[in-house]
Amino acid sequence: MTAPSPRALAWRRRGAAFAAGWKQYASQRAGLVGLGLLVLIVLLAVLAPYISDQQGLDVTKATGGRMEPPSGEFPLGTDRVGRSVLLLTLWGARVSLLVGFVATLLSIAIGTIIGILAAHYGRWVSAGLMRVTDFFLVLPSLVLAIALSTVLERGVGTIILAIGLTSWPSAARLVRAQTLTIEARPYIERSKALGGGHLHVIGKHVLPAVLPLVFVNTTLAVGSAIVAESTLSFLGLGDPDPMRPSWGSMLRSAWLDSAVIAGAWWYLLPPGIAIGIVVLAFTMCGRALEAVLNPRLREG
Amino acid sequence: MALLDIKDLTVRYTGRGREIEAVRGVNLSLAPGDTLGLAGESGCGKSTLAMSVLRLLPASARIGGEILLDGEDVNTMKWGRLRAVRWTTAAIVFQGAMHALNPVRRVRDQIAEPIVLHADTPPPPAALRRRVDELLAQVELPAEKGESYPHELSGGQKQRVMIAMALACEPRLVIADEPTTALDVIVQAQVLALLSRLVTEQDIGLIMISHDLAVLAATCRRLAVMYEGRLVEEGESAAVIGRPEHPHTAALAAAFPTVGDPEYRYAPATSSELGLPDPPPPPSGEPLLRTEGLRVTFTGRGRSVTTAVAGVDLEVHAGEIVALVGQSGSGKTTLARTVLGLQRPTAGRVVFDGTPLPTGTRGLRAYRRQVQLVLQDPTSALNPRHSVYESVAEGLRIHKMPGDERARVAAALEAAELRPAEEFMPLLPHQLSGGQRQRVVIAGALALEPRLLVADEPVASLDASVRGEILALLLRLRARLGLAALVITHDLGLAWNIADRVAVMYRGELVEVGPVDEVLRSPTHDYTRSLLAALPTLGTPAEH
Repeated sequence: MTAPSPRALAWRRRGAAFAAGWKQYASQRAGLVGLGLLVLIVLLAVLAPYISDQQGLDVTKATGGRMEPPSGEFPLGTDRVGRSVLLLTLWGARVSLLVGFVATLLSIAIGTIIGILAAHYGRWVSAGLMRVTDFFLVLPSLVLAIALSTVLERGVGTIILAIGLTSWPSAARLVRAQTLTIEARPYIERSKALGGGHLHVIGKHVLPAVLPLVFVNTTLAVGSAIVAESTLSFLGLGDPDPMRPSWGSMLRSAWLDSAVIAGAWWYLLPPGIAIGIVVLAFTMCGRALEAVLNPRLREG
Repeated sequence: MALLDIKDLTVRYTGRGREIEAVRGVNLSLAPGDTLGLAGESGCGKSTLAMSVLRLLPASARIGGEILLDGEDVNTMKWGRLRAVRWTTAAIVFQGAMHALNPVRRVRDQIAEPIVLHADTPPPPAALRRRVDELLAQVELPAEKGESYPHELSGGQKQRVMIAMALACEPRLVIADEPTTALDVIVQAQVLALLSRLVTEQDIGLIMISHDLAVLAATCRRLAVMYEGRLVEEGESAAVIGRPEHPHTAALAAAFPTVGDPEYRYAPATSSELGLPDPPPPPSGEPLLRTEGLRVTFTGRGRSVTTAVAGVDLEVHAGEIVALVGQSGSGKTTLARTVLGLQRPTAGRVVFDGTPLPTGTRGLRAYRRQVQLVLQDPTSALNPRHSVYESVAEGLRIHKMPGDERARVAAALEAAELRPAEEFMPLLPHQLSGGQRQRVVIAGALALEPRLLVADEPVASLDASVRGEILALLLRLRARLGLAALVITHDLGLAWNIADRVAVMYRGELVEVGPVDEVLRSPTHDYTRSLLAALPTLGTPAEH
């Protein structure tokens, strides 16, 4: 019998660490509830084309009356053109989640790269990168996002870019701070003395140590990206195509159609509550993850 | 009546479903004005024993037995009574003065704090000031130093402040927990002399904790040795050290060699069956490593220039062990970093095997295969997420060494005497002991088949019994592989144990270089003499 290769052993160890982490995560009820909600919402959003008919979003084929209250046929009522609000909310989840995930990935990727580079190279690289970060940090991100979406073509892509480009500075600061503490450890010095170059030190030592923090930060940032998307859509900077509604654009049309004055609460509440639930679920997951991955919090 | 009487004390830590017995049935008593040294390795329970006297243990500790302080049981004291007793009857000089002082308060206020806390009515500011000045004078610090913040003081001064704090409420018992561990030999000697003087003058009972028997013998009349939570030996200092009965005491005593005693020359304490190699023949020919007029200066904020290394010419021959000795701040670590190419010299150059140190990335990488570093603290020198295998293989992968990686790792682990190598490979650093971790660091360096090892305080953070084993390993590696080593240390005993030549560094310059026998037996420079004079020795018992 030959001994298992070190790579296999490393994977086995990672598997065991994951199992232990999951056990800790599962001991936190808020984290489990958040995760359950998220899985449900993501499943509904992904399966939307199979459990509902997208044709119902087409204004020309709407079957309902104008702002009908909830009924058996339309459980959450209809909007001004007679589309089902339930259907709109379901399809809105797809856009909101997509923007939330992709924009967060973009912003965290930029933030992680800038943060690690600034901390690793130090001196003028750090000074230069951190001034850029400070510039984006003091800039009102909503204004910048609005400016970007007016210059670029309106659409989901632009919104993702606008959110991604404005929300990375806090991630960069966080990652830089963490990288600095890792870089001060003697094992980095040992690695350099072994002959390791920049790529080796960053790839083998810094990145694996920073990743848990980045992961937690990502989870927490998705919520705020979804809120940012809703804000931009509400302000009319979102995708104009009525076949691709988002929760923000639903709120916008509800406001434009004077849903409050008409007393059409069913038009206003579902997207608003959906935003609240998703953001809450992400925050609950993020906090639980933080407690698992950040041992300093666990001690307290 | 005894000042302190500990009867059948047991301390157990509970938590996470398992129980650790830290102290198992210890009996101890101390008369007023008496001094007791408590020796033992890390984890033997000596700190737990000391902290239990003032009930400073964490909530998870379960205490059994009696601790009578002036006839009163500490364990049954009410909270208010315990508060009154803390510091007025017994005070502690904590380990690591740099962390035990509040960095944002002046030391005067910190010394005054216990006086104010324990006074029934707040003392008038003038009286308080006088009292603090008096305390500062007792620890031989000028009164102006009271206005300083901790970071403005040196390590020895901070330790003096800690002692002044302990004396603030005129306690009858002082517990000093490793009071000199982080200090240089010279400062250590001063602090020890101060403690002894204060204890005799003020008739205070002193319990001093250390892993260094020589330090304890220099200050304490009696000595108690702890091992695995038990007191294994107790008696007069000279008797315990001169005729140790327990094997553990003998090991502790042997770990700190007497400089100048031929018995300890090339003979670090080891119980390994591999034995010790014979002393090598004197090296000849071209030196392997040579520094020529090496200078390193740092420019701080406000353009202030600090010279860390001021023109050093040092040679290391193939197969030679050179010890670089000096106080902290003498520039020895900077010199080592420059030799490794981790720090660029301001002037002068490093010549390795006849060619100057390359400056380019590629050249430096090739150079670093030949010269390897062993760091002081193996715990932080290993990435906690990497297994032993990955840590040792790291250098092999960086340099894309040919051949079977697994075989090379196994060979390196074997060379560092981690046997069987297969069993150590999957372990993570936290599963190893301190000595094993240092062996992994050494194995990682050996895997690259270097010709020179630069070791920065390789045994300073290790326990006494492990210290000798690692030093013996260095000697055996030299004999077997012809490995040269530059060992940086503040410990003259280490130099006496393994080095061929010694270089004494003072304020960035080498003040004396020569064969160990000559330099340490008949030093010519004043600084070397003061270093030797400051060594606490086992032979001479304390004066009382």
